[in-house]
Amino acid sequence: MPERLGLVERSIVIILLMILIGLVVVDITLRVSCCFLQRYGGPGGQVRIMGSGSTFIYPQLKHWISLFEKEHPNIVVNYNPTGSGAGQSQLIKEKVVDFACSDPPLSHDTYEALKGRILQMPVIVGAIAIVYKIPGYNGPLNLSAKVIAEIYLGKIKYWDNPEIVKLNPKAKLPHVEIKVIHRSDASGTTQVFTFFLHKAVPDLWPESLVGKAISWPVDRTGRGLGAKGNQGVSEYFKTLKSAIAYVELGYALENNFSIAAIENRAGIFIKPNVTTMMAAVSAALKSGLLPSSPLADWSKALEAIVYAPGKDSYPIVSFSFMMVWNVYPKRKAEALKTFIEFINTVGQENVIKGYAPIPKELREINLKSLNIIRGA
Amino acid sequence: MKGDKLLYYSLLPFAAVVIAAFILLFAVISYTSAPAIKEYGWRLFTSSAWSPSETGPKSSKYGLLAPLYGTLVSSIIAVILALPVTISTVLVIEEYAPPQTRDLIGSLIEIMAGLPTIVYGLWGLEVLAPILKVHVYSPLHQLLGFIPLFSCRPFSGYNILTAGILLAIMVLPYMVAVARDAYRSIPMTYKEAALAIGANRYEYAKIMMGMIKPGLIASALLGFGRAAGETVAVALVIGNVPLISSCLFKPGYTISSLIANQFSMAPLYPYMMNVLFTGGLILLIIGVAANSVAVIMISRSRLR
Repeated sequence: MPERLGLVERSIVIILLMILIGLVVVDITLRVSCCFLQRYGGPGGQVRIMGSGSTFIYPQLKHWISLFEKEHPNIVVNYNPTGSGAGQSQLIKEKVVDFACSDPPLSHDTYEALKGRILQMPVIVGAIAIVYKIPGYNGPLNLSAKVIAEIYLGKIKYWDNPEIVKLNPKAKLPHVEIKVIHRSDASGTTQVFTFFLHKAVPDLWPESLVGKAISWPVDRTGRGLGAKGNQGVSEYFKTLKSAIAYVELGYALENNFSIAAIENRAGIFIKPNVTTMMAAVSAALKSGLLPSSPLADWSKALEAIVYAPGKDSYPIVSFSFMMVWNVYPKRKAEALKTFIEFINTVGQENVIKGYAPIPKELREINLKSLNIIRGA
Repeated sequence: MKGDKLLYYSLLPFAAVVIAAFILLFAVISYTSAPAIKEYGWRLFTSSAWSPSETGPKSSKYGLLAPLYGTLVSSIIAVILALPVTISTVLVIEEYAPPQTRDLIGSLIEIMAGLPTIVYGLWGLEVLAPILKVHVYSPLHQLLGFIPLFSCRPFSGYNILTAGILLAIMVLPYMVAVARDAYRSIPMTYKEAALAIGANRYEYAKIMMGMIKPGLIASALLGFGRAAGETVAVALVIGNVPLISSCLFKPGYTISSLIANQFSMAPLYPYMMNVLFTGGLILLIIGVAANSVAVIMISRSRLR
């Protein structure tokens, strides 16, 4: 540093120099790490498949992966439950994973942009349970879409509301305020739940209140609570004495929550289980809204399966989708096909509590992807 | 001499990385939030609506007002509650406690600072919130219901006040550390002088606290900065509802818990990522402002 510079000038020069050097170092680090990671393909002989997305499918997928890796020791499947949205984005935009799982299918617009290149397969069926906790009452509870909508709109405040009593003439319901729990993160569960309310009672629950994250009307009354993930909702639900919540069936079963019977399209009160979920899927298959190829637009799937007709159908049911590209490097394509085949054959015989397998018709559609995915 | 220069230049890049990382952080966050501010303008900061839509930016509504309010209120509660405890703790540790007790309290506080925040969060969720609701909030509402802050019936333990109390516990170690440093820098002669003029314990404590006032302000500001940025623990106890209410028993939202809640699905919605980054930018500005003032205060307290 030349001597004639003053202290201030000298420090400015040093700081600028430091910034420059720092930026260069950071830049080099980023470049090196990115390219190193890209080239790194896993140890020789083994093929590594990376996936991310839906947290809902994660327990089931974990079970499938452990079975699959026992059968195919040369293939390693990694799945990161980042959420359906992040999964879609990592597959489609960032291209850092080989497959994604998402509860909602690709939206119509996204599908149109990727038509012919992306495959979607419904691989598992899930249901959303409405769980309740009423002080001094442990019996069963019947609920209709109208009542649930009015609770989440903030119109029904107490358990002994005449509308709830009308559905449950035998139950002794107390005059206690209902605490209404919903998801605070954007979630496919919320989308299915709000879509059900809209489809069943469109006058009460407008389309503007359908989505993965919505402005909950009950929040404005101060009686709403938001929690992150099914886990968060379950934790809030456990500590409260009088509450209602919607969670994925697996969580409700695992925690022994009281599950309400929901009035279906045929006017019958149905509880969620494998039989009633499968009934909804068969109704969806008959609806004509489900396409017959993995390359097709599945964006109407929710419409087909939620609030489906049939006297045994549970009304709040959804698919979880697996999404892949049509072209992969050769070895990866083979490995991925093996995995897809496994899920749609052996996998469907090994479904854990809280989920239901997909019917034969859908498995056949999914297996068409084995002829579509190419190695390059 | 030559070795000195060599060492200096070889260490320079490492120090430079810190500055560069901060500048990059600031640049990336500003750059990513710009589209949201351009699209939604002031509405982002004056509304509390949060209803994203996948179809387009026009049908989505984003507002950061309620989370911003929740961040400020919960952090202010935290500092208000933690400051008296900080002052008492510093006095006990530095003046009254026997050496062994002092070491015990000192190391306990250090352990508190090192605990992962999720531990505080789970404890707040499972233990603190239910207990506070039954034993504190309900009596408070019955006795002091005429004050707007406590006017609404406590509906659950998950609200802004619980978040504030949990944050107070979490920022306490940092505040104590700063205040303790300031206290130790008081020259012995001043303490002797205070005692020599016949100050009793209360007067003595008052004089000493007056001397470290900038240190106390600095500790409060640092505590505020930390509280505003805390994410996981707050997201677990605040109720996550975008609500603005003068009553502390209502659930709320903070910017950091909003980001934690919404981030994973954000890529699906146009502009949502940008809006969340705008929230991050606000946090960054709050943090930088609080810390800079705190640093100035600390250096001023050292000059005395």
